[in-house]
This record gives sequence, structure tokens and C-alpha cells, in this order.
Amino acid sequence: MTRREALGGAAAALVLASCGGGDPPPRGGPRPGSGAALLGSLLALERAVEAAYGACEEVLRGDALREVRAVREQERAHAERLEGLIRELGGDPPPGRSAEEYARTFPRLRSADDALRFADQLEQRQVRAYLEGLAELPDLSLRGAAAEIGAQEGVHLATMRVLQGLPAAQGPFVTGAL
Amino acid sequence: MAERRDADVLEELLAAERQLISIYEAALRRDAIDAALGERLVAQEREHAKGLERALAGAGPRNPLASVPPPALGAALRSRTAFARFALDMETETVAAYVDAAATIRDPKLRQPLGSIMACEAAHQVALRDSLGQPLVVD
Repeated sequence: MTRREALGGAAAALVLASCGGGDPPPRGGPRPGSGAALLGSLLALERAVEAAYGACEEVLRGDALREVRAVREQERAHAERLEGLIRELGGDPPPGRSAEEYARTFPRLRSADDALRFADQLEQRQVRAYLEGLAELPDLSLRGAAAEIGAQEGVHLATMRVLQGLPAAQGPFVTGAL
Repeated sequence: MAERRDADVLEELLAAERQLISIYEAALRRDAIDAALGERLVAQEREHAKGLERALAGAGPRNPLASVPPPALGAALRSRTAFARFALDMETETVAAYVDAAATIRDPKLRQPLGSIMACEAAHQVALRDSLGQPLVVD
């Protein structure tokens, strides 16, 4: 790993560590173990990533900008889906943060390379989060939703890699092997 | 409808992986795919198949499924574009199979690894779309 990659990873870790830690848990009455708290964490992550893509768009042009806009649109749809699932469980989705609050946690993106490296790290975190959710969510329909969204995050991660001139799939197992 | 045993779910995924291996091997033999891309994809499918075999070894009695080449493969091998479209369809079906399997499989220890392969197959979709000059992210 190069120093720049390490810095990108550290920046993503900082963003994602701060994206949900201060958010209150879902209010209302989902029963303990329903999966609502985990969905709330995934929602906080989605909102932070959606905001991060807004920052990435400012330094991207051409094909990369078009692809990132499409990814951002899907992240927004994921967040809406997670909000719906939390409500179905009897909870209230946690409120998001303001654009300014998110922006304070992002690294300064000076170039398209910076943005794509940052986005790559964010998508790795998202894929990992959804795959961990698969192991932990108690309900089949919730796991189905996590798997569907996780597959789209796999597409997003691969897209960021291709846009950086890298192979779409780095290895046969994105996280954890059989 | 009776719930599928984990072993049956894994056998179905293994059959899908073997089909992918067979089509990429055929495409490489017939120069119907860029060699570097084809070698990378088939190597990853082989690793998935090995992983599934290992999981099956601990999943109870086996009921192996026959894997036959898809009938449309012959026509798909006539050009790189035709093959990429054909392979993209097959990868899309495989991603759907992993989405279903990762959610439904009973052994929770298998869900994350199956999701890991699912994400890799999703990356294969992106690689094939890139080879076709298509947008990488689609709804």
C-alpha cells in the first residue's frame, strides 16, 4: 500500500467512524434484535457516502462524473429503502446530518485521482458493512434487502476501480473467503 | 414449497460457477474475449468453485448437478461483442443467484462468504460492461 492509499483509507475510516457514532438510535418501538439498529447504522453510512459523492463530483469531469452521479443516485435510493425498512419495524429512521457537518469530515479532494481513491475506500467500507449485515440481520426479507444493496455496492466499488484504471475485481473474494 | 437444504443451494451455485468457467475457457480458446480479461475472470470463477466445494464438504450429503454448456454459447463465440453480451447476461443471473443464496442459506457462517463472491460477480458485470463500452452503473 502506498502512502497516498494509506491516507485515503485513513480519511475514509475517519468519515465513516464519524458518520453514525453521534447519531441517536432509531426512536420508537422496534423490538430488540429486530435489526432496526443495524439498519440505522447502514443508513447513517449511506447518508455519509451520498454526501461524500457530492464532494467528489466537484473535482470530476466527463465519464467519471457521469458514473459517480449514477452511483450517488443509487446511494440515495438505498437510504430511502433503509428508511422504509426501519419504519416497517416500528422505528423512526435516525435524522441525518447537514451537508456542512458531513463536509467537515471529508478530506480535501484536489483532483479526480483523490476523489476516486476516496470513493474506492468508501465503497469498500460499504460492501463490508452490508456483508456483515447479512450475517447479523435476523429476518430473511431484511437479509434479502441487504444482499441486493450489497450487490449494487459491489458494482459501485468495481466502477471506482475501473475509473482509476484498475481491474474491476481485485480478487475472487471481496471480503472473507469460503 | 419445501425450503432448500444448504447443500442444494451450494450445489446450484457450484453449477453456475462451472458454467461460467466453461464459457470463459471456450471464449479464450476461440479468442472471443480479451485474453487478460478472460484469464482474470476465469481464475476468479475457479476460486469461487473451489470455495463452494470446500463448503459443500461440510454441508451434508451431496446431490451434484450436471453442468452443460448453454445452447446460446456457440453463437456467442462468433465475436467479442456477442460473447461479452452473453457473458454479461450469465453474470447477471449468477449475481441474482448469490443474492438469493446469501439471504436464504441457513448457516449464518456462509452468508458473508457467499456475499463476498456475489460482490465479485457484480464486479465482473462491470468489467464486461466496460469491455462493451457501456455505462458501468445501471439500474
